[in-house]
Amino acid sequence: MKPVEESPLRRVLVRFRRNRIGMAAFFAIILLFVVAVIFGTLSIADIPFPQDPNATNLERKLLPPNAMNWLGTDNLGRDLFARMLHGSYISLTVGFVAVGVSLFIGVVVGAVSGYFGRWVDNVLMRVVDAIMCFPTFFLILTAVALLGPSLWNIVVVIGLVSWTGTARLVRAEFLTLREAEYVRAARALGQRAPAIIFRHILPNAFAPIFVTAVLGVPAAILTEAGLSFLGFGVQPPQATWGNIISDGKNYILDAWWLIVFPGLAISFATLSFYLAGDALRQAAETRIERK
Amino acid sequence: MIAFIIRRLLISVILLVFISVISFGIITLTPGSPYPWGELNPKISESVKANFRKQFHLDEPIWNQYWFNMRGLFTGELRSIKDGRPVLERIGERLPATIALNVVAITISLSFGLLIGVYSARKSGQWQDTALSTVSFGLLAIPEFWISYLLIIGLAGWLAIPIMGTVSHGIVFPNEAAAWMDWLWHLFLPATLLALGGIAGQSRYVRASMLDTLREDYIRTAQAKGLPADTVFYRHALRNSLRPVITGIGGLLPALIGGSVIIETIFAYPGIGRLGYQAVMERDYPTLVALNFIVATLVLLGNLIADLLYAVVDPRVRLE
Amino acid sequence: MRVFPEIGNSQLRPAASWICSGAVVRFFVYGIPVLLVALLVASFLTVASFSTDRKNELTIASIGEPTKLNPIQSAESGASEVEQFLFEGLLQYDQNLQISPQLAKSFSLSQTTTIYFQGPTAALTALSFVRAAKEAWADLSLLEARAEGTKLYLKFGLPGMTASEKIYELFNPASTLPLTTLRAETGGEARALLKEFQEANIDLPIVRAWFDYDAAFEITIPGEAKQALEDLKAFLAKKGKEKATVVVTETRKFLAEPVVQFILRDDVRWHDGAPFSSKDVAFTYRSLVNEAVASPRKSDFDLIQSLETPGPHEVLVTYRKPFSPALTSWMIPLLPAHILEDKPVTWWNDNFNRRPIGLGPFKFSSWKTNETLRLVANDDYYQGKPWLEAVVFRYLPDPIAVRLSFMTRQTDFWGVDPWAVKSYIDDPRFQVFRYPSNSYTYVGWNLRNPLFQDLRVRTAFAHAVNVPEMIKYILYGNGVQSTGIFLPHFWFANPDIKPIPYSPETAKRLLDEAGWKPGPDGIRVKDGKRLEFTLLSNQANEVRKDIATLVQDNLGDIGVEVKVEIYEWAVFISRFVNKLEFEALVLGWNTGVDFDAYQVWHSSQTNPEQLNFVGYKNPKADKLIEQLRQEFDPEKIKAMAGELQRIIYEDQPYLFLFVPDATSVIWKNSFRICRPDGKGGFVDTPVEITKAGWTYYLQWFYRPEYADRLPANREVRP
Repeated sequence: MKPVEESPLRRVLVRFRRNRIGMAAFFAIILLFVVAVIFGTLSIADIPFPQDPNATNLERKLLPPNAMNWLGTDNLGRDLFARMLHGSYISLTVGFVAVGVSLFIGVVVGAVSGYFGRWVDNVLMRVVDAIMCFPTFFLILTAVALLGPSLWNIVVVIGLVSWTGTARLVRAEFLTLREAEYVRAARALGQRAPAIIFRHILPNAFAPIFVTAVLGVPAAILTEAGLSFLGFGVQPPQATWGNIISDGKNYILDAWWLIVFPGLAISFATLSFYLAGDALRQAAETRIERK
Repeated sequence: MIAFIIRRLLISVILLVFISVISFGIITLTPGSPYPWGELNPKISESVKANFRKQFHLDEPIWNQYWFNMRGLFTGELRSIKDGRPVLERIGERLPATIALNVVAITISLSFGLLIGVYSARKSGQWQDTALSTVSFGLLAIPEFWISYLLIIGLAGWLAIPIMGTVSHGIVFPNEAAAWMDWLWHLFLPATLLALGGIAGQSRYVRASMLDTLREDYIRTAQAKGLPADTVFYRHALRNSLRPVITGIGGLLPALIGGSVIIETIFAYPGIGRLGYQAVMERDYPTLVALNFIVATLVLLGNLIADLLYAVVDPRVRLE
Repeated sequence: MRVFPEIGNSQLRPAASWICSGAVVRFFVYGIPVLLVALLVASFLTVASFSTDRKNELTIASIGEPTKLNPIQSAESGASEVEQFLFEGLLQYDQNLQISPQLAKSFSLSQTTTIYFQGPTAALTALSFVRAAKEAWADLSLLEARAEGTKLYLKFGLPGMTASEKIYELFNPASTLPLTTLRAETGGEARALLKEFQEANIDLPIVRAWFDYDAAFEITIPGEAKQALEDLKAFLAKKGKEKATVVVTETRKFLAEPVVQFILRDDVRWHDGAPFSSKDVAFTYRSLVNEAVASPRKSDFDLIQSLETPGPHEVLVTYRKPFSPALTSWMIPLLPAHILEDKPVTWWNDNFNRRPIGLGPFKFSSWKTNETLRLVANDDYYQGKPWLEAVVFRYLPDPIAVRLSFMTRQTDFWGVDPWAVKSYIDDPRFQVFRYPSNSYTYVGWNLRNPLFQDLRVRTAFAHAVNVPEMIKYILYGNGVQSTGIFLPHFWFANPDIKPIPYSPETAKRLLDEAGWKPGPDGIRVKDGKRLEFTLLSNQANEVRKDIATLVQDNLGDIGVEVKVEIYEWAVFISRFVNKLEFEALVLGWNTGVDFDAYQVWHSSQTNPEQLNFVGYKNPKADKLIEQLRQEFDPEKIKAMAGELQRIIYEDQPYLFLFVPDATSVIWKNSFRICRPDGKGGFVDTPVEITKAGWTYYLQWFYRPEYADRLPANREVRP
């Protein structure tokens, strides 16, 4: 290995910046963020801009895109554009919070399993096996039934059933890293396990975990959309891209805009995350240089 | 190796017991009742309800119910609350359709994934690679129910494209072969949509694995020996980079039978996914218990097969 | 699992076997995709070559697939949709929704009233009283009177309580003996226990006994029966039935037992050729009350004391008390005794319920689960062979698939969604049918909640919600505003009730009067409490979801904050409705043509898991509901039902919204009807809809392509 002057993170960033598609995806995510934050704030503060997303106007129902309603109106005459803008923060929140939950559990389980190995590893991995056997859909249904179909319940449940992949990945990283010389040194110096895990190993496993997280966001958004399709997602009148489609699907032959635009929005958001995640993964790949 | 398999099987059995207990708990914990009449039916008296609960052991403690269900499952006498038929028969009658759909879908995703992955790897770094990888992610990013709807609406009534079921309706087939062809024709659209995500994932996988292999020393050696580029690529590189693809097959086992609720619903396909969804909505506990158990068994078996295949394909791996 | 370090260049071993040759690998990469595409093309060419001639069949697209094709074991609409062609009942609704005979040639009603006296002399005196008033017999429809021991038997030509009560009033109450009915919940072995109890108390004069499965029995005893009650309790306790309960269910002045006599058709055969007879009726009744069968339709038959079959084509049904809705219960399709008798229920499930044998115009042919169910014409049908060769049901789980299958002519009939009706009415290629459905949609207020106890608040809400606009925009005009518990097209409905008009001003005024004054944020406040509540509904019902949103919007305009929550149906029912834990909800009732409002409106039905979940209690309504159930005279039924409807509408326990239309569409001229005109000939008309739905004449449907099969002398009407 040649000596490095710059930090590994810096190097990743430099290489990421060279990837044009990755950068485009990155800017798309920034754009989504800005929209979500602005309209999320407006939505929570109940400011009807550009229009009130929940105001029904039956005389103007199912109108195709026009000057007043850029993306048309739904079956109760609500402005689709306003609903999609105000729904954007929910869809993104679903993605991020669900990933946050799954990341937290996955990292803790994976780290403990990979670091301690032996029976701890065995037990935890069998638990992971068991969780993968559970009927995800039924778990979500039960949780929603018992706790109510609120945004947070759905998000947390999606997170709770999707951490197994992360756990396996983190465990694999830890299995390799725990034998690294600097870790052995730390152990020889008498540092305790939590310190070694968090101060020494985790930072070095950061890149793959981060990539998983970025790729996890679109998966969670798609899960929520799929749940909405079956009627178990975030419930109306709260608009999300998923439930706008699911409410609009009955009108699909009479009002194409009700499912085309939100579907495009979901695809756009998830594609941005996938492409950015892939570019990050390529940039973080260090093997080429090691060889 | 044998010891490893035996140990894993034993652990799997213990896990299965554990899983079946917990999932039975979840199933019965969910609010709702499996009454075969619509709720809020004024014609149902309390004595009818009580008798129904008695007939299906719903008035007994939960551990007794668990015991009845598991015993019934293994003796084959477990009957659906909904139509009173053995649950294994209900699952069995949908099995051929589900397996057919998923075999076609898996074949499509493996073969086209391989094709695209290999092509991308050959053109690595060129515009074809970038375009294909963007398209792959596009396939992953599109919600499958959304694209399915757009497709069936766009294609309905056009070129006799089938959008529902497994057979052309109201047609007397001239011969057996025509019936098979008709069936295949009905499978293609749902199977392709089911395979979209798989194609994307598989092609990314193959491409990465190919690129890794091409960087190995022995490939350089082969190239240095002056072997033709094609020979090196197909005979040496591709063969070895197929390992992850082969080991991944174990993981496909549950998908083969699990079914897909969304695709089956949209295409009116008579598969296991729809059965499971109906059972959930109707709270048909016996059917759910059986389905969960079967799928859990397949997941564990699939994991085991994946590990074994890994050892078989890769001589560097030993199982202990 | 352990990963060894790389073992050098094992991969470099020359590929000896053909498996590893480049050609095979290349086949996997390029050959399989090409093969797949080739298969696709081949299958397309095959399918494209199929003939598209229309068969002489009718295909119906449906979302609800039946689970059992057994009319007494299933209560889903999907099953009855199929069963109506396979099975028939003793009675049916004719095209005008009037009760008419089907398998019964005719039916007649009568009633035996038994009055118990303190002694034989009192009975004889009473008899002479009745005989003396012979001129009044015709008015009371009294046919016969006789005395036997301490009992006076009266036979009436019309069931009901009024005539019997008039006669009873002639006597000195002190000379008569009331009758007490005891109900013992034994939780099993009811028959054996009662037998043993009777043997132990030989002198107890049990007038009649009835069993609720084998889990309970009811006995009727003359007198107050206090001693018998104690004896029975002690007896059951001694038998180790600690959990058993004994209660007095009712005390009556006399026994009034209506009798229905059916004379059956003698020209009907089951699909396997066996003749239909009274044995089948008796068997169907026995199955209904058999606990192993667990029939969801048993309750309709709980009031039957006995069913006798004096001859192969005669059935006598005796009821325990006058109960006018009982007659419609004989529309239940009948089961073949010769096939099902002595077979265990699992045999039914495994055989009959998947391959039923009926006697209707169509016979069962095949059933592919989740795909198609096929019925073929019954050549032996007693009204004549149907013109169509088959009726096929296609089960499509998604409404869009149903619609597309209709549009691509893969199915012939579609129960079109309200929002799509308009484009089909305007389109000359289609014929749309519209008729009022037997259901209404409402917002129910939980009357246990102090907020909704104020009639002014409920009325204000009714004024604030714009129902006409809802009908116009959510139902696209396919419905009418509901005026209470009976639907406008029922013969006993009250036509004089005016719906509460939309008037936000009146609503605001009423709320002001009730003390709810606008607060700082626009939401009304009273005693520091904001005017807010949660409105619940179930998912998978687009119309209700939309209603909830509109109610939220409309009430928001008058300063009421409504939160909307949507739950899955089973959760919605079990967590909120059955536990009575809700504030307001959007729901609908499928009423059937039934004037019995007991389960939904009687004050005794307000407990958890009962159907008066809003907690409506009104003694006046209770009395009318009870009387209605015992009345057989259509005029009186109409008067009482109208009054009941008015009382409940004025109380506004629900915000009655609308009665939606059922809508359906077929391709124009794809079918016609050629049916008997009742004078020996046939009339040939376009498909028409009857009050009893579009399937009423289905056995006479035909495809114009196959018109050559019809009788030549038919009268064709364009």
